[in-house]
Amino acid sequence: MKNGFTVFLASFFVLGSSWTAFVLGSAIQLGHEKQTTVLNGSDAYPVQRAGEATLGLQVYRASGCAACHTEQVQQNGMACDVILTAAGKNAAAVSNLVAKLKLSDLSEEEAAATADKITAAGGKVETRIIATGGDIARGWGIRHSVAADYLYDYPVQLGSLRVGPDLGAIGVRMADVNLQLQHLYAPKSVNAASAMPPFRFLFEVRKVGTVRSPEALNLPKEFAPADGYEVVPKPEARQLVAYLLSLRADVPLYEAPFTPATPKK
Amino acid sequence: MNVNEKSNAADVSPGQIDASCRVPLLALFGGAALWLVVGLVLALIASIKFHQPEFLVNCSLLTYGRVQAAANDLILYGFAIPAGLGVMLWIFARLSQAELILPLVPVVAANIWHAGVFIGLVAILIGETSGFAWLEFPRASFALMLAAFILIALSAAGTFGQRRERELYPSHWFLLAALLWFPWIYSTANIFLLIWPVRGVAQAVINWWYVNNLIFVWLTLVGLGVAFYFLPKLGGKPLHSRFYAQFAFWTLTLFGTFLGIPQGAPVPAWFPAASTLASVLLIIPLIAVAIIFVKTVCGAGANCKGGPFCQVKFGTVVFLLSGLMLIAISCPHFSQITRYTWFETAQTQLQIFGFFAIVILAGANEILPRIMASALPFPKFVRVQHWCFMLGTLLLVGSLAVSGIEQGLNNYSFATALPALRISTLGLFLLLIGSLLFAANVFVMTIKWKLGLAKVVFTTVTAPLKTAEVKS
Amino acid sequence: MSDESKSCSTPSNAEPKATRSTVPMWIFSAMLVLIYLGTVYFDHHSGWFSAKVYSPYGNVDELELYQPKSGAAAQLARGKQVYEQVCGLCHGVDGMGKPGQAPPLAGSEWVMAKGTTRLTHIPLLGVTGTIKVQGKDWNMSMAAMGASLSDSDLASVLTYIRGSWGNKAEAVTADDVKAVRAGIKSPVPMTGEQMMKMPE
Repeated sequence: MKNGFTVFLASFFVLGSSWTAFVLGSAIQLGHEKQTTVLNGSDAYPVQRAGEATLGLQVYRASGCAACHTEQVQQNGMACDVILTAAGKNAAAVSNLVAKLKLSDLSEEEAAATADKITAAGGKVETRIIATGGDIARGWGIRHSVAADYLYDYPVQLGSLRVGPDLGAIGVRMADVNLQLQHLYAPKSVNAASAMPPFRFLFEVRKVGTVRSPEALNLPKEFAPADGYEVVPKPEARQLVAYLLSLRADVPLYEAPFTPATPKK
Repeated sequence: MNVNEKSNAADVSPGQIDASCRVPLLALFGGAALWLVVGLVLALIASIKFHQPEFLVNCSLLTYGRVQAAANDLILYGFAIPAGLGVMLWIFARLSQAELILPLVPVVAANIWHAGVFIGLVAILIGETSGFAWLEFPRASFALMLAAFILIALSAAGTFGQRRERELYPSHWFLLAALLWFPWIYSTANIFLLIWPVRGVAQAVINWWYVNNLIFVWLTLVGLGVAFYFLPKLGGKPLHSRFYAQFAFWTLTLFGTFLGIPQGAPVPAWFPAASTLASVLLIIPLIAVAIIFVKTVCGAGANCKGGPFCQVKFGTVVFLLSGLMLIAISCPHFSQITRYTWFETAQTQLQIFGFFAIVILAGANEILPRIMASALPFPKFVRVQHWCFMLGTLLLVGSLAVSGIEQGLNNYSFATALPALRISTLGLFLLLIGSLLFAANVFVMTIKWKLGLAKVVFTTVTAPLKTAEVKS
Repeated sequence: MSDESKSCSTPSNAEPKATRSTVPMWIFSAMLVLIYLGTVYFDHHSGWFSAKVYSPYGNVDELELYQPKSGAAAQLARGKQVYEQVCGLCHGVDGMGKPGQAPPLAGSEWVMAKGTTRLTHIPLLGVTGTIKVQGKDWNMSMAAMGASLSDSDLASVLTYIRGSWGNKAEAVTADDVKAVRAGIKSPVPMTGEQMMKMPE
C-alpha cells in the first residue's frame, strides 16, 4: 500500500465489514427482539424477572460468577419418539407391530413412517420431539438456550468457561431455596467434590437471639457455626438465589421446539 | 541504510531519535512493567484458589471472579497495550528517521491511561465490574483510556507523517491499522455495552466481536508489526517479502476480524457459522506468515540463545501455534470437546503471553538501552526473563490445554482438571519471576536517570556563583 | 552511542528492508478452494441469516420439520399441506378461486355454513351444473377430489378452509367426515339444486 491514507482505507473497510455483520447485524436482528409466545400456545415469553431476581443478576455480575459458570445450554441434535396412545380395535396386531418397531431416537422421516404404519394397523400414536445433546444428557437443560431467554437481562451473563456446571436451567434442577443458600455458604456441604469457593461474605454469622431465626441455615455439623450462633443470609444472598431460581429455559419456542412433558390444556 | 539518508542539512541521527523517545517510552514502559507484575500476582492468587478454595476466601475483594477479571484486564490493558504503543512509537520514529513529534503528548497520555487502568482495577475489586468479559472497567476508565490512546495515536501518526522515505515498510501497515483498530472497537464496545446498551444477546455478540478483535487481531497486528521490524533488523537479512507481508496483512485482518463467536452460542446459527467460515480461511495468512518467517530467519546472521532475536523468533512461532489453536476451537467437531473448557483459556494465554508479551518485551529490551543511552543495569536478566517466560508459558498453556481436553472428554469434571491446574500455577509463578526481572531493569534505569537529572539540577543550583555575577 | 557489547543482537542501527518477490499463484488457488469449502459449510449450517434458525438446525425447512404438532395446530398444518396439493390448483392457494376454473372459498357462504354436512358432501361427491357463490353464477364441474382422502385428511382440509383467509367457522372432525361418508349411497356428483336443497 502506498501511503498512510490507503492503509487507513483498507483497515476501515475490513473492520467495517465485521462491524456491519456483527455489531450492526446483531443490533438489528437481536437488539430489536420482542416478546414472543410459547410454541403452540399463547403465553408470552419471556416474562420480565421478578424484582429480587433482577437485583440478583447484579449480585451475580458483581461476584464474577460468570468466570466459572456458563448460562447457555447446548443442544447437538433433535430426535423423535413415537408413543402409542391408544391400541384401537386390533390391539393384538398393534402391540405385535409396536414390539418390532424402533420407537425412540428417530429422525422426522423415520418417525412419520413409523407413525403411519401404526395408524394403518389401527392404533393411535403421538410423535414427540425431543432435544438431544451432551448437556441434555447430563440433565443440565431440556433444550438449547436461545436469544429470547436473555431478552430482559442487562448485562447478559453467558459466561465462557465451565469450571462449574452450566446454570442455564439451574432453576429447574435445583429449585430448593434453602439448598441454594446452603450451597452458596458451604458448597462442599452439598457436593463434597466441589471446587467452588464458599461465598461466606454473602451471609452473616450472628448470635442467636431468644429464638432461632426462621431464616437461619441448617448446616451439617462440620460447616455449622459455633454453638449459640446462626448463619443468616444477607439480602444479596437472597437476591442471588432468586435470580438463580429464575433461570429455567424450559419453555418450547418456535426456534427451540420440543414436546413438553405434560401437555398444557 | 545509506540509500535512505539524504544529504539534507537536518539529518537526524539515530541517537537523537532515540533520545526524543526517552520520556514517553519510560512513562509507557514503566507503567506497563508495574501492571504486568501486579496483574500476574492477581493471576497467581486466582490460580491458587483452584486447588485451595479456602485461600483468602473471606475477603470479598478477592473473590475468584473479581480477581481473575482484574488480572486479565491488568495484563491486557495495563501491560500489553501501553508496552505495544511504546514500541510502536519508537519504530515509527526510527522508520521515519525523524524525532518523535510532540513528545510531551504521549507522556501525558500514558499517565492518563495508567490512571484509567487504576480506576478500573479498584472498580473490579469492589464489585463495580461491568459484567462483560475483558471489558470489566467502568465508563470512567473508558473515557480516560480512549482519550489517552487517541493522543498517543496522534503523536504516532504525526511522526509517521514526518517520514522521508515515502515507501512504506510492512510494519507501517500493521501498526497504522492497529491505531485505527483499537479506538473503533473499544468505543463501539463501550458505547453499546456500557453507555447505551443493546438488548439481550446482542450484548454478548458485540462482546465477542470486541474480544476477538482486541486479543486476536489487535495483538497480532502490533505483535507482527514489531516482529517484522526486529526480525530483519536483528537478523541482518531483509524481510521476505513485500508481497507476502501485504497478503498476510489483508488476509489476517479480513478473516481474523470475523472470528470469535463461539460454536453453540444462543444466537442465530449464522453467527457461529460465519466465524467457522473465517477460521477455515485463517490457515492462509498463517501459511503466509510462516513463509515470511522461514525465509527471513533461515540463514540470518545472528544466532544467540535467549537474546532478543531468539525471543522474537520464538514469539512468531508461538503466534502460528496460537492461530492454529484458534482454528481448532472454531471447528465445529473439535469444539464439541473444547467448548467452554480450559483449552480456550489456554489459547488466549498463548496469544497474550507466548506471542505478544515475548515479542514486545524483546523489543522493549532492545529499545531501552538505546533510548537511555546506557546499558541495561542487569543485562543478564534479559536471558533469564526470556527463559522464565518461555518455560512459564509452556507450563501454563500446556497444562491448561491438556486439562481442557480432559474436561471436555469427561463431562466437564473438575477433578480430572485439577492436577494440570497445579502445573498452571507454577507456570504463572515463572511468568511472575520473569516480569519482576523486566520491571527491575525498567525501574532501576528510570531511577538512575532521574537521579542523574536530579544531580544535574542540584549541582547547577548549588554551584558557587562566579564573582563577576555577584553584584556588590 | 550505547554499549552494545553485552547485548546479543547485532549492533545494527540500520532500518530493516523488505525484498520483492514474485507473486505465488498457488496461495490464491488454495484460498479459493478454502472459500468454496467454507461457503458450502455456511450454506448447510447457517440458516442463511434467519433470525429463527439456531444450531443444530441448518435451515428453516429443518426447523419446520421438527415443530411438534399439537391438536389444533397439527390439523391446520396438515390441512394446509393437503389443500395446497389437492385443491389449491383450482381454488387458488389464496382461496380466491380462478374465473373459469373454480369459485372462491374465501368468504363463501357454502364454506362458512354453520353445519358441516353439506360442505363435506362437496369434495366427496363433486358438483355439476350451476351454483351461486357470493351472488355470482358458477357453472363448473368439480370432480370428487376428496373421495380419495382419508377421513382425517379431509377433515383437516375442511377445517383449514373454514379457518383461513378471513373465514371463521368451526372445525370439522374426522368423525363428521366418516358419518357423511357412511351416509353416501351413490358417488354421483351433486347438482346445484341438490346442493341448495341439502340441509347445512
